[in-house]
Amino acid sequence: MGHVHGPNAARQPGLQLKYVVDPRPEAAAFAAELGASIVPLEQALGDPAIRGVLICSPTDQHLGHALAAVAAGKAVFSEKPIDLDLAKVRAAAPHFAGARFQLGFNRRFDPQFVRLKQQLDAGAIGRLESLHLINHDPAAPPPGFIPTSGGLFKDFTIHDLDLARWLLGEEPTTVYAVASCLVDAEIGRQGDVDTARTVLKTASGRLCVISNTRRSGYGYDQRIEAFGSAGMLCAGNVANDTVHVMTEAGDTAAPIRPAFAERYADAYRAEIEHFADVVHGRAQPQSGYADGIAALALAEACAWSVVHDQVCPFPNEVRHA
Amino acid sequence: MHKVVLIGAGRIGHIHARNAARHPRLELAGVIDAVAGAATALADEVGSTVTTLDAALADASIRGVIIASSTATHLEYSQRAAAAGKLVFCEKPIDQDLERARSAAASLTGARLLLGFNRRFDPNFRALKAKLDGGTIGHIESLQITSNDPAPPPPAYVAVSGGLFKDMAIHDFDMARWLLGEEPTTVYAVGSCLVDPAIGQLGDVDTARTVLKTAGGRLCVISNTRRSGYGYDQRIEAYASGGMVRADNVLESTTQVWSQAGIASDPLQNFFLDRYAEAYRAEMAHFADMLDGAPAAIGYADGLAALALAEAATTSAKTGAIVHL
Repeated sequence: MGHVHGPNAARQPGLQLKYVVDPRPEAAAFAAELGASIVPLEQALGDPAIRGVLICSPTDQHLGHALAAVAAGKAVFSEKPIDLDLAKVRAAAPHFAGARFQLGFNRRFDPQFVRLKQQLDAGAIGRLESLHLINHDPAAPPPGFIPTSGGLFKDFTIHDLDLARWLLGEEPTTVYAVASCLVDAEIGRQGDVDTARTVLKTASGRLCVISNTRRSGYGYDQRIEAFGSAGMLCAGNVANDTVHVMTEAGDTAAPIRPAFAERYADAYRAEIEHFADVVHGRAQPQSGYADGIAALALAEACAWSVVHDQVCPFPNEVRHA
Repeated sequence: MHKVVLIGAGRIGHIHARNAARHPRLELAGVIDAVAGAATALADEVGSTVTTLDAALADASIRGVIIASSTATHLEYSQRAAAAGKLVFCEKPIDQDLERARSAAASLTGARLLLGFNRRFDPNFRALKAKLDGGTIGHIESLQITSNDPAPPPPAYVAVSGGLFKDMAIHDFDMARWLLGEEPTTVYAVGSCLVDPAIGQLGDVDTARTVLKTAGGRLCVISNTRRSGYGYDQRIEAYASGGMVRADNVLESTTQVWSQAGIASDPLQNFFLDRYAEAYRAEMAHFADMLDGAPAAIGYADGLAALALAEAATTSAKTGAIVHL
């Protein structure tokens, strides 16, 4: 993700990418390209001119890096998830009280989903009653990724769980998830699933279904349908182009955007723009540490539901699958 | 020409009577209804006559009976018509009570009976199934069925409907079985009353999601609401190993208005009589084919299986637990 956020930060007015922290030799060329220099983390955090830190390290290092940056008084942007271990994340929460911490739930910054939320908040469809989130990856990750991923729910569904909280306007109180391994048998052998449906219900009875697969067969399927008392809002996929080929065989549209880098390019730019506002004190982070805890707790509840074949009634309790 | 009679001159009876009367291989030889005025009005409209069930069943020239009466009478009329050697076309559901329906299975499973799950005859859904069966997008993995009514029925209807899952979602349970190609083995349903508190006071829900899982791990989500706020939302997405097949809503027309405010399409075809007009015609044509010797596309066993899923969903929504079949 550093290759997504680094260039966006370097190009963002109001931000200057001064350092890249990465011990690997190949990081030097990347830093040079962005006009930054390679330094150790201690040096970057010790530089009083540095006001913000973007954390794009491997997931198991997010929390340690975030703690160090917050302790040094920096504003922090961290890729999701904070950590795969909910208990650890909860235990570290006091260190983030009052910190300027933005968690990289990029979909909250997607122009399509932002527009949908604006229409929802403006009452375009009355009161929200239910929600359908479709999040299908184009192709399964290599099996080597699976053991360190935290599993489908913490790695992938966590985005949808955050969107669900953002859009439902209420916390889910029951979580049901059902899953299968249908795409790649190797994923199943690693103890994970690749196809899942999750149902959330809030205290007032709002319903949400999340649809996930690791391999769609037709690109990166990213859609939202929000059903309200006076209609429905639908954010559709973004196609590569608007050209249709119409022949005797029918009407063929362009493929949808193939993967996250293309589909959420605008969202990644917008979240760094938002981080610039956070660094300059013009905005509070839109998704903070508490949002990260809540999404992770729901992801654990999903995994628990699948393993135990039961509905998880208290998703905010710590439950290890 | 095959002579058939129709029982039940209500809303759905009107649809079937007109389609039977217009079909080139069917002759609607009689209309039966407990309310004489209703039977006469419909018989007059379609050029038929009023008769009684006893007379029709005793008439050897009558080969088929179309049952469009109230749900509580479906089983009894089906059994009587089958016992008289007639072919039966019975509206869904077979009954609201699964035990009662199961106890009638011995007499009806072997009967030449077509159950009126009309959506299997919708040209869009048939095309979707043909694409799936054609194998061009691989094997099915999961399914999303959206089935949202435009407006809630009056509370008096809800009280005798059998509940959302048996009355409304039962169509979707049949579609799920038809498209998944495997029987669901687990059912989880969650429901809320968000549309009309009167529905909740009757012990029913008006907003629901049901998740089915088959033995092979295929997943299906069914979305239902009694009031969409934008018409009769009837869509299917089938996700397979090589892509997705999608059947979208049908609009009143293909006309769009483009303005500074955006692009406005026509409304969705509003409610089942319009949206499934072609399906009802095709299903009557299939009944004519059955009278010519074709086997029933949807039989009593399908009705039982859909009812069992509806009962499981009702239980799941009430108890909050997953039901294993």
